Amino acid sequence: MSELETLVSEHDVSGAAQVASAPYAEGLHHVADTPDGPLMELNMGPQHPSTHGVLRLVLRVEGEVVRYCDPDIGYLHTGFEKDFERVTYHQCTPFTDRMDYLSPLGNNLGYALTVEKLLGETVPVRAQRIRVILAELARIGSHLIWLGTHALDLGAQSAFLYGWREREKILEINEMISGVRMMTSFIRVGGLMADTPPGFEDAVREFVRYFRPRCDEYEDMLTSNPLWLDRTRGLGAVGPEKLMELGVGGPVLRAAGVAHDVRRDEPYSGYEDYDFAIPTGVHSDVYDRYLVRIQEMRESINIVEQAVARLEPGPVVIDNRKVVLPPRHELDTSMEAVIHHFKLVTEGFRPPAGELYVGVEGPRGELGYHLVSDASNKPYRLKVRAPSFSLIAAIPDMVVGGLVADVVAILGSLDFVLGDSDR
Amino acid sequence: MADAPQGAETGAAVDLLQQVRATIDDRLPGALAGDDGSRPEPALLVAVDRLVEVCRLLKEDPALEFRLPLHVTAVDWLTREPRFDLVYELRSLKLKGRVRLKVRLADTAPAGGGVYADVAAPTMAEMPVLPSVSGVWPGMACHEREVFDLFGIRFEGHPDMRRILMPSDWEGHPLRKDYVSFGEPVKFTDRGSFAPDSAVPRGAPD
Repeated sequence: MSELETLVSEHDVSGAAQVASAPYAEGLHHVADTPDGPLMELNMGPQHPSTHGVLRLVLRVEGEVVRYCDPDIGYLHTGFEKDFERVTYHQCTPFTDRMDYLSPLGNNLGYALTVEKLLGETVPVRAQRIRVILAELARIGSHLIWLGTHALDLGAQSAFLYGWREREKILEINEMISGVRMMTSFIRVGGLMADTPPGFEDAVREFVRYFRPRCDEYEDMLTSNPLWLDRTRGLGAVGPEKLMELGVGGPVLRAAGVAHDVRRDEPYSGYEDYDFAIPTGVHSDVYDRYLVRIQEMRESINIVEQAVARLEPGPVVIDNRKVVLPPRHELDTSMEAVIHHFKLVTEGFRPPAGELYVGVEGPRGELGYHLVSDASNKPYRLKVRAPSFSLIAAIPDMVVGGLVADVVAILGSLDFVLGDSDR
Repeated sequence: MADAPQGAETGAAVDLLQQVRATIDDRLPGALAGDDGSRPEPALLVAVDRLVEVCRLLKEDPALEFRLPLHVTAVDWLTREPRFDLVYELRSLKLKGRVRLKVRLADTAPAGGGVYADVAAPTMAEMPVLPSVSGVWPGMACHEREVFDLFGIRFEGHPDMRRILMPSDWEGHPLRKDYVSFGEPVKFTDRGSFAPDSAVPRGAPD
């Protein structure tokens, strides 16, 4: 027996006896019969901080190299799709806030557009523009959390604090318009919860002015930082064809060089009127995803600036009393308004029977709602096409063959939200 | 609310649907069972046994290129025959549009007649079954697992048919309309049940 063979046989780790004798082996065990030979099985999550929520990855590793990965989700499954079927259309809106909890207003927007399309209604221009402002601010807020946590995972602490600082200003705008910082349910079927208060436009302009230089600041910290480059370049690269087959869209697909954006391909809420670019990457790796998202924040702030410049006074809800609540002052003088109010609050409205799908560009890809109506006051079926669900399905293709330490970088670059994938 | 049916969609979406229908009729005659008649967005009805061929054609035809599958889901029409609609939403970046395929799938337990051993939880062998399209788009595999988990519909040829959202030892399939999500059906004098509304499946006999 050669020296090498002796060494290997002494360090054979495939036997179950060694596992049983190891005091620290809780959560680890060896799997002998895999196509790659004996491997160690490693649970990553659901309480691992870099899984950004409660994602569990079952990894099988050969030394430090990942040979197999099985994402396990459902820890945050709340059964929203079942809940949708027992509440009225207006009561569904707060559920949508709580799915992708980093972009509640973007979720509201998709849901409201779906029901409005079924009703054949189009909201007034002012409501559309405010919706665009809020959805883009939500996208920036979501990207800031991504930037902060992703950089923190890779050891860059400052970006985390910077990202949180800027997001606070977006939450303050949310609080100003709705009284709530995160789960605002401000975008509703038929328009908005209310018109924006005085000072909203100034606050948004102030944020635009404040935020532009901050993007440069993030780039100063990271874009040409050698540590950041070493840690992100060439990782998790999957070609565009494969990504599409996996159902992945949004910034991850754009980082692979595909200029697909639902705001451009199937415009909604007047996005066709705004001038914005669709940033794309080349290498489809963690670094390009970073570049694409930073550039997207700049484009979003451009859209916000254009929308706020075009904001004109006007109604913010549709003129259909069967769908939206009457103004408060009418309740004092109009019996009809009282009846509409009562019927809407107790029963809701009954859209025509039908079936449709509406997709919007969320911060992490196409967020879609597939709605089936049986002409009753509750959705018969409302399926949410969650972008995070498809992103998580793509994890094995990105991490297998790489190192365990790189899994953290790749998970961060995908920017999924478990509330979104599990619903 | 006006009960008048919404008008069909116009413009690009209709043209795209026509183009897809013409291509399928040309290349795979007989695979389409027509439109499903749903408004405002009609879907193409596909015969169950031709589903995989149709999907492959939509993905690979150079004029269509439906390469980005969005999702597959099911709709449970409890009292209708056939009971389930399977809905496939596909996106083509080339045509900048979507198409929806629909497959009607009968339940294995005939309506009103024989039922599963346990109504809410058919066994794997008792489940309605249709071919998996995960061979065409690998990304559909996780969506099919979700349908399996929440509706109890099995996909033939799926590489990994396990639950995905619910715990692996869960009984029943929650998005079926006859799945009672909570509450206890207690008999009272003036109504069938005092349980919350959701405990009484819509479509169930009064």
